[in-house]
Amino acid sequence: MAKYLAKRIFYLILTLFIVITLTFFLMKLLPGTPLTNQAKLSKSQIALIYEQYGLNKPVWQQYLLYLAGAVRGNFGTSFQFSDQPVSYLLSSRIGPSLQIGLQAMILGVIVGIVVGAFGAMRQNSWVDTTATVVSILGISIPSFVLAVLLQYYLGLKLGWFPIAEWGGFIYTVLPTLALGATPLAESARFVRTEMVDVLSSDYIELAKAKGLSRTGVIYHHALRNSLIPLITIVGPLAVNIMTGSMVVENIFSIPGIGEQFVKSVLTNDYPTIMGLTIIYSFMLCVVLLFTDILYGIVDPRIRITGKAN
Amino acid sequence: MKINSAVKLGTVATFAAVLLAACGSSSNSSSEASKQTLNWMENSALPSMDSSTATDVVSGETMNNTGEGLLRIGKNSSIHPGVAKSYTKSKDGKTYTFNLRKSNWSNGDKVTAKDFVYAWQRTVDPKTASQYAYMYAQVKNANAIMNKKKPVSSLGIKAEGNYKVVVTLTQATSYFPSLVASPMFFPQNKSVVQKYGKKYATNAQDNVYNGPFKLTYWTGTSDNWTLSKNTKYWDAKNVKLKKINFKTMKDPQTSLSQYQSGKLDATYLSGQQPKNYKNDKQYVERKSASTFYIELNEKKDSMMKNKKARQALSLAINRNQFVNKVLADGSTAAKGLVSTGLAENKGTDFNTAAAVPSATSQDLAKAQKLWKQALKETGRSSYSLTLMADDTPAGKNSAEFIQSQWAKLDGLKVTNSNLPFKTRLSRSQNGQFDAVISAWGADFPDPISFLSLFTSGNSYNNGKWASKAYDKYVAAATGKDANNNTARWNDMVNAQKTILNDQGVIPVYQQGKAQLVKSDVKGLIYFPTGANWDFSRAYIAK
Repeated sequence: MAKYLAKRIFYLILTLFIVITLTFFLMKLLPGTPLTNQAKLSKSQIALIYEQYGLNKPVWQQYLLYLAGAVRGNFGTSFQFSDQPVSYLLSSRIGPSLQIGLQAMILGVIVGIVVGAFGAMRQNSWVDTTATVVSILGISIPSFVLAVLLQYYLGLKLGWFPIAEWGGFIYTVLPTLALGATPLAESARFVRTEMVDVLSSDYIELAKAKGLSRTGVIYHHALRNSLIPLITIVGPLAVNIMTGSMVVENIFSIPGIGEQFVKSVLTNDYPTIMGLTIIYSFMLCVVLLFTDILYGIVDPRIRITGKAN
Repeated sequence: MKINSAVKLGTVATFAAVLLAACGSSSNSSSEASKQTLNWMENSALPSMDSSTATDVVSGETMNNTGEGLLRIGKNSSIHPGVAKSYTKSKDGKTYTFNLRKSNWSNGDKVTAKDFVYAWQRTVDPKTASQYAYMYAQVKNANAIMNKKKPVSSLGIKAEGNYKVVVTLTQATSYFPSLVASPMFFPQNKSVVQKYGKKYATNAQDNVYNGPFKLTYWTGTSDNWTLSKNTKYWDAKNVKLKKINFKTMKDPQTSLSQYQSGKLDATYLSGQQPKNYKNDKQYVERKSASTFYIELNEKKDSMMKNKKARQALSLAINRNQFVNKVLADGSTAAKGLVSTGLAENKGTDFNTAAAVPSATSQDLAKAQKLWKQALKETGRSSYSLTLMADDTPAGKNSAEFIQSQWAKLDGLKVTNSNLPFKTRLSRSQNGQFDAVISAWGADFPDPISFLSLFTSGNSYNNGKWASKAYDKYVAAATGKDANNNTARWNDMVNAQKTILNDQGVIPVYQQGKAQLVKSDVKGLIYFPTGANWDFSRAYIAK
């Protein structure tokens, strides 16, 4: 296990290195400058300012300097938020994004499992139909549409939840629901399909024949075996939540990092683009590593350490 | 590992319970808000509070309310005393002497002439890498300092004792008083700047304020920030608001909902919203000092160089229909290159004095005629061009509308190309376009801010339109007539008339902002350039 982990962590670092390198050079191909007042500056004025930021150096030199800084934890200074170190900008804004993302993931997957399981257990009943309709809606309604609907009805009309802004758990409810809908629907769909399959397999028949209770069969045999494919989609779901959060954070005025990503690319804020790319790819790598480890735990047949003798 | 059903059910149950509990206790924070609190929204967060390096409107607006320069901008861009209680101008218009009042920083330090000298030197210092240092161009030696040819100490500003500032300019600059009233000419407390070093002005605490308010909450990256009344301000007795809560609302619908639920006292409208609220009592339109105009690339071919072709393209556009039906966001039809409401002379607006109606109105029959003549003169039977514009909603709307208008000209085929701002900008600057919708916002309330763009060889003159007469008028306004208000005004009027008569650019619209403001909010001061807002006289009437 330790050896496996070490190997995976090495790959993680390698992946990050490749991502940093590619992003750095691609980003330098973007037209324009990171200067917000670019439209009003002459070429010579821009050149003078570039000199101060070291942007006049050849790109490969800038790249090496960036790597040297990044290794020491210095990710540069933001252009949009002038004089703010990128590490501070991101660390002060990542909390809300993480909280909403995790809440949406947990809510979505847990409720999804329950909905899917109930659907499969009462196959072709009204429960099943409802569960299917819910998953289809959840998948087909984009999070930003759901966000606006939730905001209007539960926020403005009924006044149950704050319409926007940030300030405590109550403020996270609507964004969590808006973001959690897709993972909920996806996992419900997966669990249902898989469980219908499992429920008709021989070992379930055997378990029933042996006289196990219905709940025992469902929880100990059917559900556990249905969860394996669910783990596969956790990675993609995490990506889905990360991209969804960019819009949902805007709608609910959440001081997160979602919007910074889009804005930094649009404004050529090089250090912020790099910082965010590293964070997002790191999070994704960790989720993937985590799901691989989970596989082994849920399904003993999958041996992460190689051949089981 | 077994997935324990009890644990799982427990998690679901807890979650449901928390959700339900959350439903019951909707927040009640608005009730505690005291009377004189203004809740204001911005479209983007506050990125900087350093008057030497800030570049955006939100920073400018916040600094204008937490700081004060030698003078202060008021309603309709009028100039009022600030830290300087009076000033005198030398006969040649090149030397200004400001007499400072005794006033204090929020930490109790005295605001002295040295604070101005320090701040101005710091801004033009190349090490500061200020993107607005060019605003100092008229101050003696500023350009040489920015280009590292002279030391910062040679800048044309001297402190004579603690309460007198003497500024030397390279040439008479009639709008200089409005420049020194803008945030990039505000004073800075040297000991505070040096004490906090890199952290200076990066959050609410590591800074001092000499304006009507002080920043009391801002982490440097937060979406909310708070201004509180500055009791040390010299005119504090006339400041009525106790607190201003700024909130960043990136989504216009969210902002409107917050306004409707009473969480905001004002909100900017966009998209379809202005149309829906146009007849509302709380609806206000604010004119910005920004003009959107079309530049034609005269380097491209004989057609774009043909005056009749340019005039036809201008005459084909129904600007009123565009601003009222398509944009409908508070924008108005452009009456000239210079924005309306920017400057006036003896009660006459610049655009009234320098109007050329034929260059900013529609006349389709005349357009057709001129277009045919232009095709004939250049030996063509048809012509096709690409119209470049921003990929913003307004940019797309503009390009589509103008394309539809130009389609009415026989033998003209127009293709649209909507590009991200920076791409559009670099293509404009490199001459890689046929026609482009450009925009310019004035930095200070004077027509020269627009007119200086189109002198031949100017780097902002993307279409490379050139006129000797125009160059002469602009040169006179900034040179020999700089200290003669009437002659200078006439020079500028003639310059605009020249460019419009030759259709050197095609002015389309002047940007406006539609806003809803609660009717109990009084005393707001708005001006179209730079910082836009002054809250020092605002109050809540209840």
